[in-house]
Amino acid sequence: MKLLLSWLKEHVDFTVDADELAAALTEVGLAVDGIERREADAILDIDVTTNRVDCMNVRGVAREVSVICGVPLKPLETALVETGSPASEALKVTIEAPELCPRFCARVLDVRMAPSPPWLRERLEAVGVRPISNVVDLTNYVMLELGQPSHAFDLERVPGAELRVRWASEGEKLTTLDGVERTLTGRVGVVASPSQALALAGIMGGASSEVGDDTRLVALEAAYWDPLATRRSARSLGMHTEASHRFERGADPEGPVAATARLGHLLHKLGAGSVRPGLIDVHPAPRPRTSAPLRSSRARLVLGVEVPDARTYAILSGLGFGVGSQSVEVPSWRGDVTREIDLIEEVGRHFGVNRVPSTVPPSRRPGVLRPAQLAERRMRDVLVGAGLAEVVGYSFVSRLLDGNVGVRLANPLAEDQAVLRSSLVQPGLFEALQGNLSHGRRDVAIFELGRVFAPRPGLPHEQPRLALLLAGGARARHWSQTPRPYDFFDARGLLELVAAALGWEELTFRSDVSLPSFLHPGRAAEVQHRGAAIGWLGAVHPEFAQASELRDETLVAELGLDGLIEEAPKAERFQPLPRQPGISRDVSVLCERGMLARDIESWVREAAGPLLCEVVASDRYEGPPIPEGKLSLTLTLRYQDPERTLVSEEVQASVSDVVAALRARGAQIRGE
Amino acid sequence: MADSLDDRKARVRVLQAEFEAALRAAVDASGLQSVRDRFLGRRSGAVTALLKSLGSLADEARREAGRELNQLKDELEARLEATRASIESRVGRDRLARQSLDVTLPGRRPARGRRHPLVATREALEDIFVAMGYEVYDGPEVEDDFHCFEALNMPPEHPARDMQDTFYVEGRSDLLLRTHTSSGQIRYMLENPHPPEVRIICPGKVYRRDNDITHSPMFQQIEGLVVGPGISLGDLKGTIEAFLHRLFGPQYPVRFRASYFPYTEPSVEADLACIVCEGKGCRVCKQTGWIEILGSGMVDPAVFEAINKRLGRVVYDPEQVTGFAFGLGIDRVAMIRHGIDDIRLFYGGDLRFLEQFR
Repeated sequence: MKLLLSWLKEHVDFTVDADELAAALTEVGLAVDGIERREADAILDIDVTTNRVDCMNVRGVAREVSVICGVPLKPLETALVETGSPASEALKVTIEAPELCPRFCARVLDVRMAPSPPWLRERLEAVGVRPISNVVDLTNYVMLELGQPSHAFDLERVPGAELRVRWASEGEKLTTLDGVERTLTGRVGVVASPSQALALAGIMGGASSEVGDDTRLVALEAAYWDPLATRRSARSLGMHTEASHRFERGADPEGPVAATARLGHLLHKLGAGSVRPGLIDVHPAPRPRTSAPLRSSRARLVLGVEVPDARTYAILSGLGFGVGSQSVEVPSWRGDVTREIDLIEEVGRHFGVNRVPSTVPPSRRPGVLRPAQLAERRMRDVLVGAGLAEVVGYSFVSRLLDGNVGVRLANPLAEDQAVLRSSLVQPGLFEALQGNLSHGRRDVAIFELGRVFAPRPGLPHEQPRLALLLAGGARARHWSQTPRPYDFFDARGLLELVAAALGWEELTFRSDVSLPSFLHPGRAAEVQHRGAAIGWLGAVHPEFAQASELRDETLVAELGLDGLIEEAPKAERFQPLPRQPGISRDVSVLCERGMLARDIESWVREAAGPLLCEVVASDRYEGPPIPEGKLSLTLTLRYQDPERTLVSEEVQASVSDVVAALRARGAQIRGE
Repeated sequence: MADSLDDRKARVRVLQAEFEAALRAAVDASGLQSVRDRFLGRRSGAVTALLKSLGSLADEARREAGRELNQLKDELEARLEATRASIESRVGRDRLARQSLDVTLPGRRPARGRRHPLVATREALEDIFVAMGYEVYDGPEVEDDFHCFEALNMPPEHPARDMQDTFYVEGRSDLLLRTHTSSGQIRYMLENPHPPEVRIICPGKVYRRDNDITHSPMFQQIEGLVVGPGISLGDLKGTIEAFLHRLFGPQYPVRFRASYFPYTEPSVEADLACIVCEGKGCRVCKQTGWIEILGSGMVDPAVFEAINKRLGRVVYDPEQVTGFAFGLGIDRVAMIRHGIDDIRLFYGGDLRFLEQFR
């Protein structure tokens, strides 16, 4: 809201300069976002919070300034000279919908239409309002000054010289002042003549009764429109005006009386017309004044400081509150104040938040991160340490590629942000890869920790996930080494690393299951933990890679984390260090290409006996001179007994058993 | 052979000169060995020959000459040893010189990833609050109207809902994407109906229908809630000052100003002296010298009442307990901390951006 300091000065005599005033207003909650200096004047740009509709005008700000500066508010000039026949003879007002309009005030004015004088036009222009004619300008002027919107009807164009407040009938038409013909519904309030709707209640006047150059008689309306009714009405029409903005937030029920008087006073002062005797004041539902208790003990508790009673009194009475011994009466314009806490806020903000001594409450419990939060941090540590950069992607995607409907938004910002994601990799990490490729970056190693969404009764299921993507060179380019592209085992190794660091049981990987279609069927696997699927990993399908213009082998993996991170892992149990070194033996086998390392390892374990402590696939080879369709696999077997030194005979016996077992499974033993 | 004394001394001088010349010519261990053989060899060494030649002298003269020649032998041995040591050290130096590297070539760095700057900022904030005794709570991103608005004193059609243009779930008019992490306050209090002590932060993603260089439709917030007997506005101020000073440094003043949020009363916003211009006025602080950093306030009694109503009994009695709440944008804090001017960079996965952070 723009506020002209010279206008403000007409209402309160402050002596501070614009900067000091701006700082003081900001502290009490009227944030001044900018000061525009003019010669001998200045315009403050004030951000008025939605609860303080009473400050969306000069008078309201002046009231705050009077408390800030400790000077009284000047009285408002509203003296009227009434002439002619009584207003009630020229205009009848009926409220058919009191729930829409608790109060409707009107005055009848004889007017001489003309442009406003320069001082008035300049004031309006300074705060961004376009001058139109003296009568219209006065309605705007009074709204800006007092906060009460009003409307001038050309009374000679009001059929029947009667204004009725009612709900519109379904399909009723009205052309508003902006020239738009609107079709109304029963949720829209109107001011109407007996025959037709003339104006949208609390929102905008209508074209048919608009004042013009030839207007001689004006019905001036100033009403209190119900906030919720106005809000629904404006919303249903998709409209938002200066008037509706104020009524929606709760205007002053007493405002219409003062505003019509002020306008009549100014009309006379401008020589633009005269006021017929009598205020038409239809007030079917007078609202009782509210009051609230105020205990100084409570104020001290909430604010953490003792505000002297005299200061409390000065603040509240300066703001228009009636301070009694038992309770505080709330002025009509402060609909936002109904409770003790509201009064405490008034006292606190004018006492000065910055004057409240700062304290830190003692903590009685240790602070904690939850196990899941700690687990996510650990995953981050591991993956960042392994060279991956963390990304954070939007939770929205254009559609789900798994064929599910998912959780759709009713009002997305864009069609490509219409559904909540069900995967982190597709499309999130792929898009991040594409973005990097598009500016020439080929080596990409990224991960994300985030949630995916699936509908279910009640709130959707939000599953925490870990995903990663590797593309391009597995090692940084360096003068000493040749580049190596990422492959399946880099991705698998990272998952194994995460599992080990989090104390999960060893992950297992199966390729004989159905997997996302964008994965290479021969280079992908389901990831299992304790026999249950928790996710997948693999190289992207060559067709997908081609369609997406991926030149390098690209590996992706995604794991669901629920059930894996909620419990803090048990502390590691120390194992006594072996007293003697172990013994290692290599066994090389020639086997069918389809034979799985996991099976061979398990046969070895079964046959080797209890002294075997580890078996590692330490070399693998296919190609000449190995026959087509076969491969050579070397297993390193490590034997150890925690208590004693092994003798080579017992190790040899175990190796012989292993060899026999492998032969029985159809493997040839090499080097024998 | 009857050599005179002078004659022998002359021969010794010649021999010494020859020895020194030979020594200079020796460049390695084998050269040195030939010098030893030539002068001190047991069979054919020149000094050995001289010693042998003393047999013809009278006893007295022979003893005298023998002593001199043995002294010469010792001297030559010492010279040989010194030369051997110097050759050895030179050979060693040469070997090391051949092994030298160009140390100006770049090192082989193990791959190093990066935490996302928003995550790093969030973790820094979490750590500060954990150290102050806060529990880190986590709530759902898809919320219902009750937790996101109604319990926070924003009944349907409350004007404050306009400030937070909300995404709704299709076909489920009661569901929405949370517009703030304040919903975490409500969930925590409902899940922990045993006052009087609440001290939590709730970090997470939030969503609003907004998209430009300072607004992203998805961004991240941290909500804080402290409830207990006697919690005051002074406690709110002290806590916020403490954590802003921990995060940005104690040299930046914090100021408070009254504001409005439906679920706190009194409501205050906190501003931090601009860390770019140190309060002098610049583009970042829009020439004000202050940066808006967070919104906060004393928990509105209506919030406690909504919780009690939902629980069906009075657990958070506004006469017995008070509290404060605050909310800040992690994106905004990260942007201020790092001087980032476009919020959308956080969500693009662009490694040119991400790799700028430690």
